Amino acid sequence: MWNTLVSYLPAWTVYLQALIVVAVPYVLSRIMSMTKNATDNNIEQDDNNPDSQHDITGKLDIDLDRIRTEYGDQADLNIRTFCLGNTNQQAAILFVNGISDRDLIDMHILKSLMIDLTLMGDEQGRDMSAPPFTQQFLKNNVLSIGVVKEVTRLSDLSSELLRGHTALLLDRSNASVIILGTRKEITRSAGEPSSEILVRGPRLGFNESICDNTTLLRQHGEKANLTITELRVGQRVKKELAIAYIKDIADDQLVQEVRERIERINLDDIQDAGYIEQLIEDNYLSPFPQVQSTERLDRVISALMEGRVAILLDGTPFVLIVPTTFNMLLQSPEDYYERWIPGTLVRILRYFAAFVSTFGPSLYISFISFHQGLIPTKLALSIADTRVGVPFPSLIEVLIMEIALEILREAGLRLPKPIGQTIGIVGGLVIGEAAVQAGIVSPLMVIVVAVTAISSFAIPQYNAGISLRILRFIAMIFAAIFGLYGVVLFFLMLCSHLSKLISFGVPYISPAVPYHLQDWKDFLIRAPLKLMKHRPKMMNTKNPQRRK
Amino acid sequence: MSEQESLTTHQAVVIVSNYILGVGILTLPRAAAEKVKTPDIWLSIIIGGLIAMLAGLIIVKLSQKFPGMTFYEYSQRIVGKWIGCILNLIVIGYFIAMSSVMLRAMAEVNTLFLLEGTPRWAMIIAFMWVGIYLVIGGLPAITRMFEIIFPITVIIFFMIAVMSLKIFDINNLRPVLGLGIMPVLHGVKTTALSFSGFEIMLLIVASMKKPETAKKAVLVGIAIPVLFYVTTAVMVIGALTVEGVISLSWPTITLIKSFEFPGIFFERYESLLLVIWMMQIFTTFVITHYAAAKGLAQSMKKDMHPFLYVLMPIIYIVAMLPKNINDLFHFSDSVGNLAFVMFVILPIALLGIAKLRGAQV
Repeated sequence: MWNTLVSYLPAWTVYLQALIVVAVPYVLSRIMSMTKNATDNNIEQDDNNPDSQHDITGKLDIDLDRIRTEYGDQADLNIRTFCLGNTNQQAAILFVNGISDRDLIDMHILKSLMIDLTLMGDEQGRDMSAPPFTQQFLKNNVLSIGVVKEVTRLSDLSSELLRGHTALLLDRSNASVIILGTRKEITRSAGEPSSEILVRGPRLGFNESICDNTTLLRQHGEKANLTITELRVGQRVKKELAIAYIKDIADDQLVQEVRERIERINLDDIQDAGYIEQLIEDNYLSPFPQVQSTERLDRVISALMEGRVAILLDGTPFVLIVPTTFNMLLQSPEDYYERWIPGTLVRILRYFAAFVSTFGPSLYISFISFHQGLIPTKLALSIADTRVGVPFPSLIEVLIMEIALEILREAGLRLPKPIGQTIGIVGGLVIGEAAVQAGIVSPLMVIVVAVTAISSFAIPQYNAGISLRILRFIAMIFAAIFGLYGVVLFFLMLCSHLSKLISFGVPYISPAVPYHLQDWKDFLIRAPLKLMKHRPKMMNTKNPQRRK
Repeated sequence: MSEQESLTTHQAVVIVSNYILGVGILTLPRAAAEKVKTPDIWLSIIIGGLIAMLAGLIIVKLSQKFPGMTFYEYSQRIVGKWIGCILNLIVIGYFIAMSSVMLRAMAEVNTLFLLEGTPRWAMIIAFMWVGIYLVIGGLPAITRMFEIIFPITVIIFFMIAVMSLKIFDINNLRPVLGLGIMPVLHGVKTTALSFSGFEIMLLIVASMKKPETAKKAVLVGIAIPVLFYVTTAVMVIGALTVEGVISLSWPTITLIKSFEFPGIFFERYESLLLVIWMMQIFTTFVITHYAAAKGLAQSMKKDMHPFLYVLMPIIYIVAMLPKNINDLFHFSDSVGNLAFVMFVILPIALLGIAKLRGAQV
């Protein structure tokens, strides 16, 4: 009895392995949680500390002196002093050359401020036109400008100036400055977005001006309930940011969550929507994009109609859509513009392409290096034949070609178009052919790599394609260690990751799971439009019916 | 990713089905054929399934008496602190043993059919790492994972089943009840054990959105594996005969290996079967790991995460205990017997006690 029990005691190596089993994931999870804490430590900004040193006094000399001492070295700051309304009350307008609209300033602001304002008061038979004039009076009776507001602090004044607005300072008046909207923007006309091209569909994309972009949304989207809320992000460079959603569709909680995350952003300069994307996403360790960015107007509008929220940032044509789910990355607006049968087939093709692009080379490795028995005998023989001269194991063989291809792709991306094509031909054809001739790689492998590469181009979202490319390399390493078992393990890991991932409260893998049969009409297949009566259930919309 | 996210009814179905479908697909035909010795094992499987459903219903009934509580919490309420604690420990031990059996079976099959040279420890460790990555995400993540795996399993399994019709011979299944009903009943115990998995209802009824639908969930959840097992058994016996099946360790794989479809890309399809089987092992392993850790955590009223890590080396060592495949089968049989006591007899007893004590609990 005792002896049999002892014989079952495992060897010391087993205990060692047991230690390894727990140590590695535990240490990894500690590191992960440490980095997470480090990134979550966003200190709340407080820029609202009142400082009387930087308030407007209402006395022109003092105010101008302060501005000169602080911003005097700015060559393009223009200060023009004049007498207001043909009286002795001094006034000054400030603007920055170039970014403000000179015509507007000369024709509407200066002109209307320098005519005899006392006369005007007489005509109306009121006595408030006697000097000194108040800001209130000027705003109500004199300035023929659409956008007018008042600020009281110098820092606000300067930020408005630098955005192209004009400031009007008055002597002997309230301690505030009138800001006149004279911003002149250099914008690109809205053209077809070059990163997302469709055969059929609107040719309209966003440009770099948030004003134009919200206009486009208003013009083409839902009118009454489209809500566009403005926020400012960035501590030094304050940029305009707009959150757009449809009031009676989008989930309030979602909108609130988006707003909170954006308000938590604490960075001195937000250069592109990509910054926002990275600062509000749920899991920064994930290879998958958790926020969709698009230049296409139609894509944004259809997302809004599904109850999602769009984030527009000034200075970039890319609009962010949250929450993002995995299926969005493999959808193209064209699926809906074409009839449903081609739409469905193309979509299934894309899912297949995504699969090939991730698992193609790893399956090749596992079958060639581990399970030759599982491929048809004739094929196995011919592969063996072509691999006779190849000196490397299949992992190295695939890595050589895959890395070469990635370099080619990266090189082709940055080059002017005509040269890019040349690179493609030289790289793809010549190197591929030569590598086979030289016996470095086998011809079948070149086919596998080429098919994989083309598959990865079939994914409509560029950043989704990148993440699949990264995963492909990990899959290859798994396959090289464990063969088919490794590929299955990798698949399980990938699925585990996807199941854990959540984008703004919505599981990333939805609508695949949890099962919402209604949502599946627009997942692997694209059901006829007549059947799609509901908005996605996963979005928890306030108004789930698209139509009765 | 909160634990509070509640399960829908079909999520509960998927959990139960995925948990049950595990080693059984590969071994059940042989285990049952050994006992029954006639081609009627499909009848035994159906009867076994019915028994499992009955047991599942009792468990659900018990859990519904304590809404929002798992077995680990209400066991102490029913039979007092100490006995409840011991019961919890036994259940936890069962889940640990179950996940160890899964790991080891996975390693054995892999060594036999896919990776001859790779050491078992490497396979098991990698598997456990992937598992812990998922389990840390909690029950919602596990459920979503199960929902991904489930349709893949169904599609590939029935594809393979249809393919194996090529060597299927109905005569191998005849005569029906040739030796009467007794051999069939003889095998019921074995087949009923292969449905162990419904006991997860002890835990998940507490997390369900609509606990009143748990009965439906457990019935459908067991019915799906019954369908799988009956199909497997019929196909295997139909192709390999009862005598052939008894002599094989993994008759289902042998079945898939024994037919070829030249002309399509692959000639043999056991790799596909192994793929879905590994996924099913993964689901069983993950849910048992989770269940055991949850048990420890709730018994001690602490956070679950540390226990997940604590359990890993234990599960690993237990998985390495069997010296060979026969040991493994014995071990798995005794775990099954334990399951019978724990999850058929015990819930009845607990239900009785709870009823007797009535208002006090």
